[in-house]
Amino acid sequence: MSNIVAVSGVVIKELYRRKDFYVLFVLTVIICLIMGSVNFFNDDKIVRYLKEICLLCIWICSLVIAITTTARQIPSERENRTLFPLLAKPLTRTQLLLGKFLGCWLACGLALVCFYTFFGALAATREHHWPLVSYLQAAMLHWVMLGVVIAFALFGSLVFSAPSANTTICFVVVTFILVLARHLNKIALHLPEPRRSVVYGLYYVIPHLELFDVRDLIIHNWPPIAWNVCGVAALYGLAYAAAFLISACLVFRRKAIN
Amino acid sequence: MDTHKLPKQKTDRNANAGIPGLEGPVPPPSFAYPQAGPSPQAALDPVLETRNLCVTYRGRGTRQPDRQAVKALTLAVGRGEVFGFLGPNGAGKTTTMNVLLGFINASSGSASLFGTDVREPIARQRIGYLPELTYYYKFLSAEELLRFYARIFKVPKAERDRRIDGVLKLVDLEPSRKRQIKTYSKGMQQRVGLAQALINDPELLILDEPTSGLDPVGRMRVREVIQRLKNEGKTVFFSSHELGEVETVCDRVAILHQGELKVEGRVSELARQHQCSLEQLFLKVIGYAAQPLN
Amino acid sequence: MRSARLPVLILVALLVFCFGSAAWLDLWFQSWQGNRAQSADLLNVLLGDSRKMFANHFFVKADAYFHSGYYPTVFDNREAFQTPHMAEDSGTVGGRNKGDEQAFLGKPRDWIDALSRKLFPSRHTHLDEGGASGDLGNSSGVREIMPWLRISAELNPNDIRTYTVSAYWLRERMGKVAEAEDFLRDGLRANPDSYEIMYELGRVYAENKHDETRARNLWEAALAQWEKQEAGKPDPERALRFLFVEIISHLALLEEKQGNYPQALAYMERWKARSPYPAAVQKYIEEVQRKMSSAGQGHTDQPRQSSAMAP
Repeated sequence: MSNIVAVSGVVIKELYRRKDFYVLFVLTVIICLIMGSVNFFNDDKIVRYLKEICLLCIWICSLVIAITTTARQIPSERENRTLFPLLAKPLTRTQLLLGKFLGCWLACGLALVCFYTFFGALAATREHHWPLVSYLQAAMLHWVMLGVVIAFALFGSLVFSAPSANTTICFVVVTFILVLARHLNKIALHLPEPRRSVVYGLYYVIPHLELFDVRDLIIHNWPPIAWNVCGVAALYGLAYAAAFLISACLVFRRKAIN
Repeated sequence: MDTHKLPKQKTDRNANAGIPGLEGPVPPPSFAYPQAGPSPQAALDPVLETRNLCVTYRGRGTRQPDRQAVKALTLAVGRGEVFGFLGPNGAGKTTTMNVLLGFINASSGSASLFGTDVREPIARQRIGYLPELTYYYKFLSAEELLRFYARIFKVPKAERDRRIDGVLKLVDLEPSRKRQIKTYSKGMQQRVGLAQALINDPELLILDEPTSGLDPVGRMRVREVIQRLKNEGKTVFFSSHELGEVETVCDRVAILHQGELKVEGRVSELARQHQCSLEQLFLKVIGYAAQPLN
Repeated sequence: MRSARLPVLILVALLVFCFGSAAWLDLWFQSWQGNRAQSADLLNVLLGDSRKMFANHFFVKADAYFHSGYYPTVFDNREAFQTPHMAEDSGTVGGRNKGDEQAFLGKPRDWIDALSRKLFPSRHTHLDEGGASGDLGNSSGVREIMPWLRISAELNPNDIRTYTVSAYWLRERMGKVAEAEDFLRDGLRANPDSYEIMYELGRVYAENKHDETRARNLWEAALAQWEKQEAGKPDPERALRFLFVEIISHLALLEEKQGNYPQALAYMERWKARSPYPAAVQKYIEEVQRKMSSAGQGHTDQPRQSSAMAP
């Protein structure tokens, strides 16, 4: 376990020493402040559009950070030849992979803390109340979703030849799932067999990342979600993350690294 | 200082009984040159050992046939030896090292470190490795890198700082310890490599072309480190093209050519037997004939 | 030296060629039909006609905000309608929007669908009735739809409903009468023949500013425009007939309030002819006739001639 934690520490250091996070955070802040300065019918209490824009920026930035950080972990280790002195230590490939996953996931978690703190402060300036439980649930579910995406990107980095291909495929797949996955069962109803079975099969197999997108509940001040529902969703996400990680470990063990 | 228990080293040479391909006495290597023979120390207490090691790279498709990079390599390095692993480019030296370090699997045969199969991660607990091309995490400082590697070796926290200070002083990187590695020159990066190879106070040091690309001062430093380790009773296994250096520091050498072990023995004995320098022996072994100048 | 100068000379020649070509092409580009750059509006230059699509998207977004985030997607609308309310929302069936069904989406199809219902807005609410919090007395949340309506109007100034819907909510729930008037006037500048906007502006003057003279002028202008644009058609659509009834009924009631009974009667007769509830209008007519009788004006005054009284 300490090897996994040691590797994850290096990944976290990499994130906060690279400029990606700071650029995206500053961009989010600037966009939100500009949109917040717009006057709509002389009403300074309008807040939901601002929350929506802020949360959209947070989701986009977090996916960019998660996918780009993860997609380059193993390929850059191989390309920069830092993998060899690392694997020459008493460290298994499985520990290395789990360390990379944990590091990326924790790094994204820290980024989410910064983003959601800014979001909470921004919303509080107009709403003058802070639904902490709702924000906490949203951040937690968002973090679990990123865990699934990171595990998928890590698996992709071992399967696809180039980090750019992996990044593109991850973005396309994640966007497809977030936009369409919820509706695949309705689409399937209107298709003839055998396409109906294929689409239904796809509906049940893919990880439903849209389950973790509770932005609308936050924006429109819905009551907090029941904790047992959050727990079930979190377990669902962690199961998929574990499945991707196990697949990645099996691939990595057989892969030639030179 | 090693706080971890390792499996008992195998000294019984019949330990491989029952393993296909390894029953019976070890066959002699297939080369024409008389051997100085393995050292008695290596025979009793091999720190590094290979038996009929074969590595074959599979060709891609029908046009590229399989290529045997290492052929039936049998080698033993004893405790406290400085062993030079020589050969021209493409001889199989790096492939052998990759097997020893667990980067690739052997096609057949076996390899062990301190009696433990090289496929076990614990086999690497007591070794230090310096690769030929030294690249480390550019966003880390030397101190952070060493701290990371020390953690992987499970060096106790109290001991960690002392060791980091010691190796940084040894490789003369104390003033630059807090700077990120991306600001280092090539020589400094090489020294960082040496430092990370020594952080766990290894009993066996594996060096792949340690003086490659270094200036004379750098090369001298590396030689000093090797000598110092030898004086401390550590074992050093390194490959190099600098035959002059090898002659100076090594106790024994092995010369590999086209995947086969051609010559092995003590440097002094080989020189006496063949009545020539190590360089001349090397050229003779690989079949190099000098072209007349006219 | 010669070889060092040659690349520079080639570069200069290329630059001269580029500038010359640009000067020649610019004249042609200015007269090109598809030249968006002539427009003063930045959005028009950037988006062209696709801005209407975005405008519609933002109008729908405002509706989604009004329903606290829940809105049927195109996939939901393909389904057989679960409730009459969904059918009305899709525009397929006409009726009165009650917004009182609890099982808006129907039963969950599978466990994933069931889980997802708990993780996104899946209950039908209205912002003017407290929204997600369910506080029926709180209607101030309607302000949240305004940004999207404003953006929609910016993108497509010719979409009348954006102005009328915004003005209604601004003056009815947010108490921003001046802003409603300004917005409607912006809409009228972009759509000078819009009877809908004139009618809504008239309501601002009548109900909020209590300026009945201006309200009458605006409603008469709206009626004239309606007559000019729609009356000639063999069967004006139901929505347009509804709007005619709204304009003429407001004019009729205004005239009745001000004691102009003959004028009021004239409007009411026209109202009755198009109203889906002629019996109710007849009661209004009888009431006015009673007032006329008691005031003793039935046989002397003629209805005031206005441009809206065209045959």
